[in-house]
Amino acid sequence: MTLSEIADGKLAPRLGIKLDNISKRYGDNTVLDDVSLHVEPGTVTALIGPSGAGKSTFLRCINLLERPDSGTIQVDQHTIEPGKDVNSRDLAALRRTVGMVFQSFNLFPHMSALKNISFPQQKVLGRSKDEADERSMQLLERVGLKEKAHQHPGRCSGGQQQRIAIARALALDPSIMLFDEPTSALDPEVGLEVLAVMRELAADGMTMIVVTHEMQFARDVSDTLVVMADCRIIEQGDPRAIMSDPQEARTRRFLRAVLER
Amino acid sequence: MDALSAVLQGLPMTIVLTLSAFAIGIVGAVPLAVGLSSSNILVRLACRLFVDLVRGVPIIVWLFLLKFGIQIGTFKFNPVGAAIVGLGVVSVAYLAEIYRGGLQAVPRGQGEAAHALGLTRGTTFYGVMVPQAFRIVSPSIATYLTGLLKDSSIASTIIVAEMVFQSQSFARQHPTVEGILPYILVGILYIALSLPVAYLSRRLDSRMRKAVYA
Repeated sequence: MTLSEIADGKLAPRLGIKLDNISKRYGDNTVLDDVSLHVEPGTVTALIGPSGAGKSTFLRCINLLERPDSGTIQVDQHTIEPGKDVNSRDLAALRRTVGMVFQSFNLFPHMSALKNISFPQQKVLGRSKDEADERSMQLLERVGLKEKAHQHPGRCSGGQQQRIAIARALALDPSIMLFDEPTSALDPEVGLEVLAVMRELAADGMTMIVVTHEMQFARDVSDTLVVMADCRIIEQGDPRAIMSDPQEARTRRFLRAVLER
Repeated sequence: MDALSAVLQGLPMTIVLTLSAFAIGIVGAVPLAVGLSSSNILVRLACRLFVDLVRGVPIIVWLFLLKFGIQIGTFKFNPVGAAIVGLGVVSVAYLAEIYRGGLQAVPRGQGEAAHALGLTRGTTFYGVMVPQAFRIVSPSIATYLTGLLKDSSIASTIIVAEMVFQSQSFARQHPTVEGILPYILVGILYIALSLPVAYLSRRLDSRMRKAVYA
């Protein structure tokens, strides 16, 4: 069984997502300036760019962890205008459709790995404990951590915690997965085990949006490379094309800094 | 020994006062702590005002106000009622502040992860935030409980027959050196009562730590 076959046991539909004219400011400080991004179902989009460009904020706007001041988000049949009041049904639908993995894992430290994955299934999808645990064990096995099921996150390495966090998000059958610098808190060797899981997920056709500094991953795995700088998307397209022949001077400068170190 | 039996007569009342006030505080502080971290500024201000008002006035003053200052129709507080309500309200204020600190000490990513997973606000609060906050504050709560145990002696000033009150009346009847005896005994009793609280709290704390890191 592949990761996403497990992830979409109830055949979560492949969905894309359309973000249009997303703007966000904190006081006088603009962090996102009219950003639009359309993601096709089953594709992997890598978001790269210098720090402070607004990559993470943009990603967090997609599932409304940050509330944009204006713009629209279209996913499935739902159109959400975050600048206006968002009703709780739309918000719940959005969060069910979109799973998220954080830089700092954010596993619940007072629950075992198994419970971390089962608890949200029981609460959000109304699965019974047995159903949820069965699904959790399948996912743990797929990310190679079956033996960690009854350990608390504090006893797991960073790479293990991140893989558990991925399993936790997949357990809710999301159609789209967001990754916010999933390997940045890990040392490079440990990061590989997480990237391996993500590659597999991408190969299975999961729609993914990944904020990353892993240029090789961005080049090899993503279908679309999006370069952000100064609160805007400055360039997007085929990753190999952009990396070998960037059109913007800012992109060139950034790529030189990250590729030639 | 007369002094000992006099002091022991007050023991049940000391325990009743402490536990009743603590029970009121433990439960009553939950909504207040939520209010203290509310995003609504009016709610937050009102809760903050209540906490600062209650904590800003000495317990002895609250007890006098409750015992002698309140008369609604024919209703007046009896001494024990005034002491329990007074100590209870003070406990609510102090424990709410302890809870609030604990809730704020839970890393922000925990709430974010819960929201991203689509957990409701209630589930996030009771399933994710509270259990973690409780681990953080349980030693502070135990410290507060031992403090409350000793503060319950203030109720002697409004004629509640707890241990210190009994010591005082024994001393008044024995105006010799013997009169100091109940105070020594009552001191020992307070220590004897606080030790198990401290011990249990440490046990609980280390057990929870083991649970998280085992």
